[in-house]
Amino acid sequence: MDAVSAYHLKPWLAQYGSAVPATLPAPEATSLAAMAGAATTRHAKRTAFTCVLPNGMYGNLSFAQVHAMSDQFAHYLRRVVGLQAGDRVALQMPNCLGYPVALLGVLKAGCVAVNTNPLYTAREMNHQFVDSGAKVVVIVDLFADKLEQALVGTAVKQVVLTKVTDFFPSLVGGIAHAVMKHWNRLVPGHSLQGVHTLPAALQQGTAAAGAVSGTGTGTGTYTETLTHDSLALLQYTGGTTGVAKGAELTHGNLLWNMAQMRAMAADRIVDGEEVVLTALPLYHIFAFTVNFLCMFDAGARNVLVPSPRPVQNLQRAIENYPITWITGVNTLYNALLNEEWFTAYPPRHLKAAGGGGAAMHHAVVERFEKVTGAPLAEGYGLTECAPVVCFQPLHGPRVKDSIGIPVPSTEVCLLDDAGNPVALGQPGELCVRGPQVMRGYWQRPEATAEVIRNGWLHTGDVAVMTADGTFRIVDRKKDMVLVSGFNVYPNEIEDALAHHDAVMEAAVIGLPDSKTGEAVHAYVVLREELVGKVTEAELLAHCKTLLTGYKVPVRVNFRIELPKTPVGKILRKDLRSEALKKS
Amino acid sequence: MLSETETRLLGVMMMVIMLGMGASLTFKDFAIALRKPVGVLVGLMCQYGLMPLVAFLLAKALALPPAYAVGLILMGCMPGGTTSNIFAYFSKSQLSLSILMTMSSTLLAILMVPLTLAFYSSGIEGQWQVPRANVIQVLFVLLVPTVIGIALRKWNANVGAVIEMVGGLLGVLVILFLVLSWVPRNSQLLMTTGFPVYAASIGLGLTGFVLGYGLSRLLRQDARRSRTIALETGIQNGPLAVLIVLLTFSGTQQQEVLLIPVLYSLFIVLTSSAVTVWFRRITLREELARDAAKIGALNAA
Repeated sequence: MDAVSAYHLKPWLAQYGSAVPATLPAPEATSLAAMAGAATTRHAKRTAFTCVLPNGMYGNLSFAQVHAMSDQFAHYLRRVVGLQAGDRVALQMPNCLGYPVALLGVLKAGCVAVNTNPLYTAREMNHQFVDSGAKVVVIVDLFADKLEQALVGTAVKQVVLTKVTDFFPSLVGGIAHAVMKHWNRLVPGHSLQGVHTLPAALQQGTAAAGAVSGTGTGTGTYTETLTHDSLALLQYTGGTTGVAKGAELTHGNLLWNMAQMRAMAADRIVDGEEVVLTALPLYHIFAFTVNFLCMFDAGARNVLVPSPRPVQNLQRAIENYPITWITGVNTLYNALLNEEWFTAYPPRHLKAAGGGGAAMHHAVVERFEKVTGAPLAEGYGLTECAPVVCFQPLHGPRVKDSIGIPVPSTEVCLLDDAGNPVALGQPGELCVRGPQVMRGYWQRPEATAEVIRNGWLHTGDVAVMTADGTFRIVDRKKDMVLVSGFNVYPNEIEDALAHHDAVMEAAVIGLPDSKTGEAVHAYVVLREELVGKVTEAELLAHCKTLLTGYKVPVRVNFRIELPKTPVGKILRKDLRSEALKKS
Repeated sequence: MLSETETRLLGVMMMVIMLGMGASLTFKDFAIALRKPVGVLVGLMCQYGLMPLVAFLLAKALALPPAYAVGLILMGCMPGGTTSNIFAYFSKSQLSLSILMTMSSTLLAILMVPLTLAFYSSGIEGQWQVPRANVIQVLFVLLVPTVIGIALRKWNANVGAVIEMVGGLLGVLVILFLVLSWVPRNSQLLMTTGFPVYAASIGLGLTGFVLGYGLSRLLRQDARRSRTIALETGIQNGPLAVLIVLLTFSGTQQQEVLLIPVLYSLFIVLTSSAVTVWFRRITLREELARDAAKIGALNAA
């Protein structure tokens, strides 16, 4: 790469002002386990986690409780199951109180966590267990029926079963679980042998710790060899393109990214004062680093919602707790803004909201800020960067429709196909260098070499930078539509469609076309009350007022819903393969 | 006849039911509903406008003797029953509207029940009349647990949710209790009871369903809301009427007045179940049709 380009000068540093330091000191904690210990010392008696069910029933765990229970789980893993440092433990559960206990337990045991989506099919689970070499699986009972099949040919030697209502007050948890099991029939049977429940595992851990040391229940010996370079988490990604790969995130990667995020939030995260709504699943890297790790370190109360769909499931959580932070994706905010209980009584204590995962729509951001009076800052990240790379600064003016500026101690550069920096204002592939960038893909040197070249992580996203160092994502490189030789970026078309009042959601893809090579096709979900009242012609006319001719879709297809990932990212590739199958 | 202990037990159970109903809603739910009050207003109109009138006209048409007439009119003047919420849930109606209607008609009962009852039973011989003080006293006593329920929900969501469930369950149990303890002991009476009493007991609920639906449609509520209001209108708070009778009358007089409220409570479970199955089918069919329309739009595009 050429020596000096606009990107090397880091023009975004000027936007940091006095609120954000340009570079951060290396995190003090030697590992996430040490970080959790320190946070517990500071906040022991505070409530760390509150899990809220749709009807308002809840369970709480304080920092001290999470600390003690995760110690017990660490002992269980090391002394009862017999794991060694560096062994992998798969965690497969929705947001619930068992998650922080299990996750911190794994890290305190010096082991490596493997976040696993509970909605995976048995085949996908099997791939992830085999690939990661997981020896223990901690899974929620709602999905245990798939496990038997998923365990074939894996190294898993122990299964630990959790319930969404684990650690709830016993009467409340009992009723809620009975309703789930006997009324909603959500808990399937299973024929797994030798399974331990999470509470039973904790008891065994306590017993084993006492038997060996006889004195304390400390887990320090398990973690004393950990450094910033030790592996903490295998976070699988790339499920959207072929086979899923495990991004190796180290304790250092995650500690750095926590600090970077905290720096960007500046004074909007105050130690011991925040209440964060976690509607995104913790097995997703954004919620994992920002909602869980960063907020745990800040002594925040974390309000966990097991399932944000339907969005009414969030009503009691938002009503009953003084939420100061929300993180989410465009679809979540959009859904909230369509609820009267939210718009009539928005959270009064909200300091800020963060959006990411997929492009936020301008119209959604504007409405959210108007309704709540709090800024909704958009960020950009990817699993390989633990995940945050850029965020809109919360302390100063934010450029709408941008992903903001790089977080401290991070270099960002836009490169062309030949690997040279593109001129200012020109689109190029966004590349990252910084302490949050992963070590590589687990046991896949070729795949690693493909994305990390000359020390830069190539994200596959096309972006442009303005003179003041603000970045804007144009689109995924591979989602770009080539219409008669012109580049069309689906995001721009989707945003134009979303500006129409009748449109609730839109997705745009390119399909082969005999005349133009590729043509733009739109898929639109209308607001319920307007279904059947808005025509394709109307939407096309609307697009024509906002877009140049070649960008206007040739077709608008009306849908009841769009295919989405569990976090709510719209799956354009599913629409595309479906359309290609039809033709 | 119910024994003294049974009457007391019924009173306690009613309090728990009301506690549970109170715990099913938050102040914010109310406030949100009041932003678009039309649905609730239509519901209240059906509850206190329609039902007492239906009861009165049925009593006239069937030429019921005063004891039965007073039982029927009392039944017609009652607020919505908490079991309606369970039926609303199963029939895929609008649960929030149903809960809200039950709650608002219960809160307004202390005002509306004495008024409507006095108005429609004014032509009945004095000894059969239900004294206003009795009605107000019972309603007031029940208002207290309702308000406590709301407060408990606000104070602690776990306590609120548990009470809500216990109350809902008890609502069904109380009707079973009434039926099981009363019917066998009065089989002789049931055998000799004539057609008009049965017609009145069954007819009150059925007419309520039909007219509640009709009036809601007339007042421009959509089909699903109208079905919710219909169920809510037809289903009255039977156990409450029973309790008022027990506390007002005694001996054979009590037994006679009690007949229609108890028969109503028994039959309303049956008729509501049938209506629920039917409504559920309609709702499912409508949902399918709506989906089909969307797919139609998709194909046309």
